[in-house]
Amino acid sequence: MSITQSPDAATAAASGAGAGALSPAGGPAAGRAPLATADPSRPDHTAVHRRVSRRETHSPRSLLAILLAVVLVVVFAWIGTEIALSLFGFGALLVAPADMFTSVLNLPALPVAVLAAAGIVVAVVGVLLVIAAVSPGRRPRHTLASERSAVVIDNEVIASALARHASLAADVDPDNVTVSVSHRLAEVRLVPSAGRPIDRAAVQTEVEKHLAAYDLRPRLRARVRVTEQSKVGA
Amino acid sequence: MNATNRALNRMLVLVIGLLFVIIGAGAAALAFVPIVRDAWVAASGTVASQVTGFVQSNPLAGTGASWPLAAALALLVIAIVLLIVFVVRQGGGHTRTAVTERADDGTVQIDSAVAEHALEDALATHPEFVASHVSTYAVRRTPVLKVSVTCRRGVSPADASRIVDDTLTALDRLLGRELPALVQLSGGFRARVRSTTRLQ
Repeated sequence: MSITQSPDAATAAASGAGAGALSPAGGPAAGRAPLATADPSRPDHTAVHRRVSRRETHSPRSLLAILLAVVLVVVFAWIGTEIALSLFGFGALLVAPADMFTSVLNLPALPVAVLAAAGIVVAVVGVLLVIAAVSPGRRPRHTLASERSAVVIDNEVIASALARHASLAADVDPDNVTVSVSHRLAEVRLVPSAGRPIDRAAVQTEVEKHLAAYDLRPRLRARVRVTEQSKVGA
Repeated sequence: MNATNRALNRMLVLVIGLLFVIIGAGAAALAFVPIVRDAWVAASGTVASQVTGFVQSNPLAGTGASWPLAAALALLVIAIVLLIVFVVRQGGGHTRTAVTERADDGTVQIDSAVAEHALEDALATHPEFVASHVSTYAVRRTPVLKVSVTCRRGVSPADASRIVDDTLTALDRLLGRELPALVQLSGGFRARVRSTTRLQ
């Protein structure tokens, strides 16, 4: 497929000759349908999209790895310097290599409490590092089904949209709605205005309707809570 | 999205973590388990004499310094270099060409700046978005557009994704081909600047 042979290219170039090259041609809905599955020469980007989505919803553990690498470099540089100094017969910076070796051998001479505490702390840090290395490290994000692109959404965006819909459905001020979105649960908390009861079931169906429309991966369950205290003048 | 080698990151963390677990558990065992303690004390004398003997009996030619120590120094330097390379290679993966089209009579290249500026200009006209930023990465040698969009408060993710997808389809028509794309929606917390007026 070359640039000039594509049937769409000529029309796009013609319409794009004006001011805004990407100004919507034929409304937002019109541009979507024809390209969806009609074009047989349309390249399949599913593999790339899947890879990119996965990478964007999981932590690369870069920060931790860089931190550990820097600490290792510092420790290695220090030990290396001590070895070099002792090789050329200079005095040690802090501890000579021979003394390092003998003090490791004499570890049992330390007080039991110190040795045990140090060992347990080191082991716990090690366990935490192993967990960090093996766990998936999910970021607070969801993906959304789209044919054109891989879409990754911060949970905050979902929460803020749900809060708007819930406040409209419950007829309360948007500031009296708090939504927290976690991996599988969207929790909506509503503070009613004094004297105006909230139809909890209506809010629940409204929120569920919108969640279904977003079609998020992984799926979100909705839970609506109405606080017992209400607010005056809101 | 970027070219970070994530498996290597996790491998380094895992190896250091396991090392810590072993050292820590060993130290705790020395403190708590009498058998381990006795064995360590019994072995330490012979180990010390053997190692010092090995280090001192292998002098480096000419200098009188021992070669095992020099070898250890060389290993440390190599490890430091490898670790620095590891740190420096994090991230990256940007590409400056969005489309490369080879034909018999020549090659056409489209700079990624073309796609990036066109998308950013088009997205700037939408009131749903506070800001947008487009960059291009090479994912397994395929140029992939990354469209990061900051949404205003309460914008539906489905609407935002549809707007960006429409802009992308318009770009497809302009370029005559479809580039894979990642759309990242963030924001949503920008609150109103002043409180609402109550009309009830």
